Amino acid sequence: MHTWKQIRDREFGNLRPHRFSNRIKSRRLSDLQLSNHKDFLSPHKGALNSLQVDLTEGRYLLSAAADASVAVFDVQRPTEYEAGGLISKHRCLFLVDKQHQLAHKYAVSSAVWYPVDTGLFITGSFDHHINVWDTNTTQVVVNFKMPGKVYRTAMSPLATSHMLVAAATEDVQVRLCDVASGAFAHTLSGHRDGVMSVEWSTSNQSRTQLGRRPSVLKRSTMNKESTFKSSSAGQTTSAKLRVAQKKLPNGNGSRQVVVGRVPAKGPIKQRLHPGMLSTQDRATAHYGAVTGLKVTDDGMYLLSSGSDSRLRLWDIESGCDTLVNFETVRLQTNKPIQLATSQDSTRVFVPCMRTVKAFDMWSGSTSATFRGHYECVNSCWFNEQDQELYTGGSDRQILVWSPPRLISDEMEEGIAEDQDSWSN
Amino acid sequence: MDDLPESSSKGTKRRRIDDSAADAATSSSLQDDLTFSDTLVALQIMRAQFPHIDKVSIQPFILKSQLYSSVKDRTQVDRELESLRRDKVLRLFKLNTGQDDHAIMFLDDYVKQIDQVFKRMEGKKEVEFEVFGWFKNYVLDSKLETGIEHEELCSLLSLGGKVKDSHISILINAGVIIRQLIDPNMYWFAIPNIGTILKGLAQGRNELISLLSRRRYKEMMLATLEKKRLRMSPLDMRFHLRDLIGSGHLRTDHTPSGLIIRVSKD
Repeated sequence: MHTWKQIRDREFGNLRPHRFSNRIKSRRLSDLQLSNHKDFLSPHKGALNSLQVDLTEGRYLLSAAADASVAVFDVQRPTEYEAGGLISKHRCLFLVDKQHQLAHKYAVSSAVWYPVDTGLFITGSFDHHINVWDTNTTQVVVNFKMPGKVYRTAMSPLATSHMLVAAATEDVQVRLCDVASGAFAHTLSGHRDGVMSVEWSTSNQSRTQLGRRPSVLKRSTMNKESTFKSSSAGQTTSAKLRVAQKKLPNGNGSRQVVVGRVPAKGPIKQRLHPGMLSTQDRATAHYGAVTGLKVTDDGMYLLSSGSDSRLRLWDIESGCDTLVNFETVRLQTNKPIQLATSQDSTRVFVPCMRTVKAFDMWSGSTSATFRGHYECVNSCWFNEQDQELYTGGSDRQILVWSPPRLISDEMEEGIAEDQDSWSN
Repeated sequence: MDDLPESSSKGTKRRRIDDSAADAATSSSLQDDLTFSDTLVALQIMRAQFPHIDKVSIQPFILKSQLYSSVKDRTQVDRELESLRRDKVLRLFKLNTGQDDHAIMFLDDYVKQIDQVFKRMEGKKEVEFEVFGWFKNYVLDSKLETGIEHEELCSLLSLGGKVKDSHISILINAGVIIRQLIDPNMYWFAIPNIGTILKGLAQGRNELISLLSRRRYKEMMLATLEKKRLRMSPLDMRFHLRDLIGSGHLRTDHTPSGLIIRVSKD
């Protein structure tokens, strides 16, 4: 009833279409539960390490597991139906495992799509290799050898001038590998130990015509941000790269945060945070390793989760900690975890041991807890188009959390398969 | 202002308590003043409720997890703590029990505590004790964080006079500075003479959790629980309850017959 009224308001112009869609989305977001109509049949025989839905269509889910297997699922079209068409089962479209030629030998820690189209995907593994695969032929196109175990790979979702893969490895340096040339383009140094997670900024800042933008780099032992230049055809663009650090094997580490200041152009709407802790004070940010990073879609805030079981929200522009307190009790300490945010930056989904907790981004209160996995959850991904959350854990399962679909509607309409409605 | 709610609750309850050995501070029921509205009010009341420990002389301190259980909005707690810290009303110390433990002490209490320690050390032998004055005047004033680097410490102390290595080792022996395990150049600020209490804190936490876990349904009413005494910890039950509720190991739920404490599963 409420929805019909809102549709009518939108027709008459009382409600803006953008606001209408936001209302529907946020209502669906608050109704998330273990899906009663969708299921992924996971072919993996090892713990799930990473999940990603492609950024262009939002249709293909790429999953990487600890048994060196990588699988792709179609999120929108199921392979078969069960229970009279009510439950859609999604099998993997293809699986690349150890039997495959040139496949990884050890656990695949991260698999990401090429941001421009789904023709390529990049996997990084504990066998010190980063492979770039052609999706259609499932062949390795380019191969990079790293000096240590690869913990995470990332490609910039905005880059038009470069095809660089940032690799976070056991080694203290972060390497940027160029897919186009097959060589290493840059090395970013500054950390004192392995790097566990790396993220590209989602807002490309400070485009300049020529010259270099000065950036102040403060020495840190935990979270480093550096600006690097990649010059191309007369135009200099710089993208901010954020890296995080793994903890040392013995003892607990106290880490500090560094601020790289790049003057930004134009007015930026910022939320004011009273009592913002400035990282210029060299206060420790995470006692221990930083296990997960996520940049919000507007590129203004960065979330970091640490092995001290704290989740912190950083303001990227000023480099300050916003001091929002997320009520996390325990977070996984030995493996990197993958956080997810909703597109309007209201919710953060964090894997906390066996559950996934959804927090409100600005107040830090828990809005929902998703219990369903039998073992630790390692990664989660939020599909903005359908408002669904995909989570992968050490129990080898991929679970789908979606707003409930009313069974009664389905029963009346019949099977949702592709059938001609005019021939019985 | 903040004495009023405490004295009124103490007054009504004290008439009902027959046991004269019971501490005056424990006579008010935890159920009544579990939550407060303001961080500073919570800090002051919890400071007043700090249990009296016989063998160790220590000024009252409050754990950060206790604050989280007392004030509803954790972000507000963090921000107010930050501004109070910058106004030099209180100091934060990182403890070595557990992952994210911090102790909060009012600055006056801290200065009193280190004065006690310095006085006791001065009585023993006559070796460069002017470093204590330098520490109080220069280091505490300017360095508000929980940790400090070696060079910065030396440079701040040298505002008072020439600094030698023996000065730093005196500070470490007194317990105000502790070397960090991870980085030999960094020190934590610490509360001296707190060692036995921290041990009691860890043991008391374990005892309380095991007390509840041994029960069939892993829960107990708050009213009965707070009357129990912990054997392994010099700190009282209320201290431990606030701490464990704030750190998330215990949960409180409202029932028709009062608050119930449960062990929270992950």
